[in-house]
Amino acid sequence: MILAHGTVLPDADLPALLDSLEDELNATRANLTLEAETVVSAIDTLGRRLDSGALDHLIAQFAAPNMLDSLAQIRPALCREALEDKLKTELGPEALSPRPRPFGRARYLPLGILFHVTAGNVAGLPAFSAVEGLLTGNINLLKLPREDKGLTLAILSQLTDQEPRLAPFLYAFDVPSSDTATLKRLAALADGLVVWGGDEAVRACRGLAPPGCKLMEWAHRLSFAYVAGYEDREAELTALARHIVRTGGLLCSSCQVIYLDTEDWDRAQAFCRDFLPILEGAAREGRSPGQAAEATLYSYETLLEQAVDRRDFDDRFFPGRGCSITLRRDQELELSHLHGNVLVKCLPRRALLPVLRRQKGRLQTAGLLCARWDREALSAILARAGVTRITRAGHMSHTFPGEGHDGEYPLRRYVRVVDTED
Amino acid sequence: MGSRQRLFWCSDPYDLPASDGRFVRAAADNCAFHIRRCPEYAAIARRLGFSPDQLKTVEDLAKIPPIPTLFFKRHAVFSMPDRWPVAMRVTSSGTSGKFSQINFDWGCVLAEVPMILRLGWRHRLISPVPANCVVLGYKPDKHNRTGVTRTMFGLTFFSPPLRRTYALHYKNGTYVPDLDRVIRDLEGYASSPFPTRIIGFPSYLWFGLKRMEELGIRLKLRPGSRILLAGGWKQHYAQEVEKPRLYALVRTVLGVEEDHIHEFFGAVEHPIFFNACPRHRFHIPAYSRVVIRDVETLEPLPMGKAGLVNLISPLIKATPVTSVITDDLGYLEPGEACGCGIPSPTLTILGRVGLSDITTCAAGAAQLLGKGEGL
Repeated sequence: MILAHGTVLPDADLPALLDSLEDELNATRANLTLEAETVVSAIDTLGRRLDSGALDHLIAQFAAPNMLDSLAQIRPALCREALEDKLKTELGPEALSPRPRPFGRARYLPLGILFHVTAGNVAGLPAFSAVEGLLTGNINLLKLPREDKGLTLAILSQLTDQEPRLAPFLYAFDVPSSDTATLKRLAALADGLVVWGGDEAVRACRGLAPPGCKLMEWAHRLSFAYVAGYEDREAELTALARHIVRTGGLLCSSCQVIYLDTEDWDRAQAFCRDFLPILEGAAREGRSPGQAAEATLYSYETLLEQAVDRRDFDDRFFPGRGCSITLRRDQELELSHLHGNVLVKCLPRRALLPVLRRQKGRLQTAGLLCARWDREALSAILARAGVTRITRAGHMSHTFPGEGHDGEYPLRRYVRVVDTED
Repeated sequence: MGSRQRLFWCSDPYDLPASDGRFVRAAADNCAFHIRRCPEYAAIARRLGFSPDQLKTVEDLAKIPPIPTLFFKRHAVFSMPDRWPVAMRVTSSGTSGKFSQINFDWGCVLAEVPMILRLGWRHRLISPVPANCVVLGYKPDKHNRTGVTRTMFGLTFFSPPLRRTYALHYKNGTYVPDLDRVIRDLEGYASSPFPTRIIGFPSYLWFGLKRMEELGIRLKLRPGSRILLAGGWKQHYAQEVEKPRLYALVRTVLGVEEDHIHEFFGAVEHPIFFNACPRHRFHIPAYSRVVIRDVETLEPLPMGKAGLVNLISPLIKATPVTSVITDDLGYLEPGEACGCGIPSPTLTILGRVGLSDITTCAAGAAQLLGKGEGL
């Protein structure tokens, strides 16, 4: 399926659409301006319709059952105040009015045409990426992920129905990743290519974008917890355990490794022994037999992987019910076994920077557990090492209004500065 | 004749007690082979304290290290080196983008022959009358090595195939469904002097029949026409329909009676030919044993209790899939309780465990899970 001109079209219309697309896009760029206000008010209305239950049938039809929970989390971002705040935080006051300069004036204009290659790991992500493009006044071409079963098209056509002025700025294509010919044609039209995904997706997109097309990568990241002490040991470790179990390690912000501020292997073993029942407790919370079976399978899989892949290593494996902890001798930040199976390593604070630097460009969140007096100093070391978010133990995957994205303000990447001499 | 061939050539398909001895011997030989040839399997056996000489009776089969299908999705493990000729390299269909690779050795293919013939005969699948075949699945293509494609293609040979129509065609790097074409062909087959065989995914049959119902199409396929359903509901779980509703729709739209609908169950990691009996239950054939395991402890459960489904068979030597734990929850019941006359216990699948489509943005996870994100 395709979305163009605010209408959902069959895939069969793709060749004809591609042939006329450049002329269409040029006409839009030459004649139309998309004001941020138009986008803000359309999304604000959509948010209120979501609250009223008017969109429940769409969600039931296209999204996974837990979608309503995830929506509740992002709902605060879908309102006028939040969007205006985002524009102000990310673009600064210059966003709204041209600023006088000695030579004339400078102002932000949209980059032009953004081609978004989106990922399917978070429902609603393609729509979110498009909204960021719209807020900055760009024309957006979306390549939908394979996992998208129609949710994005449903959301976007709701938006264009509500606010027809958005229609010329939104196109979505259900093109498979293997159809590189079509993807290259779309990339050739774009001023910027926004890619979400793993190394493979990023590498493929680098090949798609012609020189002159700005590449904007939102790649996968790694996050960890750093334990150097506690304000409230029980509460903080419980919050961390819940975070590990609930996110299953699957998010960029999910804790993969728990680093301990020590070199003492015995103390590390003691930590694992103490933390295991807390992790088991989190794994037991409110789960169905199906979820219990899933957790059991994953922790058993971890045991087998430890036996097979780590034959020559001196790991200590702590099996739990529906979860596990593996204590490793090295210090590298790496992916855990996921799904409640976490890694623990010793990393004294003086070694933080050199070790973390080896993962430059991949670091994201550090969940910091430490004494109150120690927080500032440790935050500074973590920030210097390249981490872009530092949170409390249980908040690693929370979203905070006005926060950056992987160390940047995305909207800034989607605009250009135009200087005009008087 | 080796112990494996003896099990597959000499066993009555549903007499489990009579084949117990042959099964245990073949399983012990199979495990010993994998431990010798596959270092990964040997490491697992060592970790779990297993050795093949622990296998004395059928109860001992639960001691064989059960390996989750997930393990095969994350690890390519083989017991025959690459330079050995294997009969087939097959992949699972990868519902969520991940797939296992399983190699089949020639001895395995040889052992499958009597199994398929005996069970095909027993379930009246074999017919000398040529048939028009409609495959509601993938058209075989060099890009596609999935087990289900191989199975469906194989199923067209139970009667001499006159011609084959496929619902899924490979186009521009992906499979696209063309149900309308299938419906047109079916209308043509209804007036052919030969019976029709529809082979495919139940979900596609359901969607196709719904479409025909909407279009007001009612056919009366030739007597002797059969419907063979293989593979699960895959990505269409959410739209799963009750079997009786499907059978009723088959009767009204195609004019095929319930006793001419056959269902199969199998997995790439456990390619044993499970056939549904006339009462639509899956009795365990002599070539397989099933252990149901506790969802918390993985301990074997008694008959009637629901848990994780563990499938055991000494069929394959090229890949260590002797004992695999699937992502399915199910339970066993005594064969007599079915009433169809087949004595072996029945396996009922309740559904998938909470392994929802695994999607992730943690760096490296996509590769670990064998899945390319985005592009």
